[in-house]
Amino acid sequence: MRIFFRIFVFSIFFLGFFQATCFAAEEAISSISFQKGGGYGFLIQDVGGSYLVAVMDLDVSQEGNHSRGRARPLSLCQKDSSEQEEDEEEFDDIPEGEMEVDFIRDPFEPINRVFFHLNDKLYFWILKPVAAGYKKVTPDQFRICVRNFFSNLLMPIRAVNCLLQGKFIGFGSELLRLLVNSTVGMLGLMDPAQTALKLEKQDEDFGQTLGLYGLGPGVYINWPVFGPSSVRGTVGFVGDMYLDPAAWVSIDFGEWFVIRGYEMVNTTSLSLGEYEALKKAALDPYVALRDAYYQYRQNKIKN
Amino acid sequence: MNRSYLWVWVFFFTCAICVSIPAMAGEPTEMVRKTTDKIIAIVTDSSLEGPEKAAERKRLVREAVSEQFNRKEMSRRTLARHWRKRTEEEKIEFIDLYGKLLEQTYLDRVEGYSGEKVFYEGEEVDGKYGVVKVKILTGQGTKIAVEYRLKKAGDDWLVYDVSIEGVSLVNNYRNQFNSIIVRSSYKDFIKKLKAKVEKQ
Repeated sequence: MRIFFRIFVFSIFFLGFFQATCFAAEEAISSISFQKGGGYGFLIQDVGGSYLVAVMDLDVSQEGNHSRGRARPLSLCQKDSSEQEEDEEEFDDIPEGEMEVDFIRDPFEPINRVFFHLNDKLYFWILKPVAAGYKKVTPDQFRICVRNFFSNLLMPIRAVNCLLQGKFIGFGSELLRLLVNSTVGMLGLMDPAQTALKLEKQDEDFGQTLGLYGLGPGVYINWPVFGPSSVRGTVGFVGDMYLDPAAWVSIDFGEWFVIRGYEMVNTTSLSLGEYEALKKAALDPYVALRDAYYQYRQNKIKN
Repeated sequence: MNRSYLWVWVFFFTCAICVSIPAMAGEPTEMVRKTTDKIIAIVTDSSLEGPEKAAERKRLVREAVSEQFNRKEMSRRTLARHWRKRTEEEKIEFIDLYGKLLEQTYLDRVEGYSGEKVFYEGEEVDGKYGVVKVKILTGQGTKIAVEYRLKKAGDDWLVYDVSIEGVSLVNNYRNQFNSIIVRSSYKDFIKKLKAKVEKQ
């Protein structure tokens, strides 16, 4: 476990470092900054001669999850007034919030892209063939049972994060789920708590908890093997490892790696074709995946 | 179910239908349901099975889908700040290409249909905008949350965005397209889009 601790400390150190550099870079591109009612904004000269006005809301009281690293609604201003009128006419009826330019910062895009290609190759050359072979020799129901079994073991992560997020009903239903599924559900192979008792799995993790507390995602990181994440996601992932029962029993890194590897193959065997579909629909698969990761996580934090 | 209860339900439903006819509550939901049912009917139709009927199947699905999507609205939202810099011809060209890309994406998804069940979980209407919330239950027992965003045009509600588990299609394409346009140019971007659409 010492290695996890080291990764954890390392990530915290980087979290501070990344945020600081990003703000420095942000301040550098602002030609004019101004303060207004709890937030601040700056103007960026756009290519077309128009100005991009970015207003960052710092009013924490509003939703509780605004922070410096979060999405900024961008409004557009144009030097030419006639064009502006046309623009206003076109966009005035769009529901609030839907034209927000919402994205995750990605200052390490070149490195991330390298790892994206590496993961892409790992998927097509190793993971996919293995998962497809595994799928051929095992029935669907068996693989669903394996998925349920692993998911049942990770109950502490979900339960503790429910508590940390103040979701007491969620915590209760996770406790009941563990009780029911570990007994009636034959050590978690089945999920009668869901099918018979309608107790939904609470998909909460430490990354979401941190997000709810107001921590921004930091920057995007595409890890080799692990795939899309952010600074917040990585810290959350490492934090959750302490709640993983695998960390409580003394197993060495090799064993942990084999177990996680098998779980990964099993999960992949149940979702073959999804990554291919994303790739096929995308004009730039890297950006598509980055944005999908970000939107997915932001949505998870809200729920 | 107990017999007497059944009558209570019948009575309840009759009342519900009587009340809902004049108000036509849930218009956006009805719109989505109509199209979804139509598409499921096409892809499960045994007379349209097999690879030799693929073209026919595709044509029917395409027809059903294009009735329900507002391509211009989607295009406008996707290009966002690049939209107003475009000439009329460029806009028409983009709407056409983007429409084809979306169509292909949608067709690929529909082709993989394997008995997923669709549940309508409610809707929100705000003026001429509406959101229809849907849960899709897959064969593996996972639930996927899908949201259709619609805008009223005349008497019809047309879809301008779909989000799956919180990932909005329009937002995703907007970020992709924006990153290409900003890095190179709109011309380069259109060239890429054209190549992508033609390859399919």
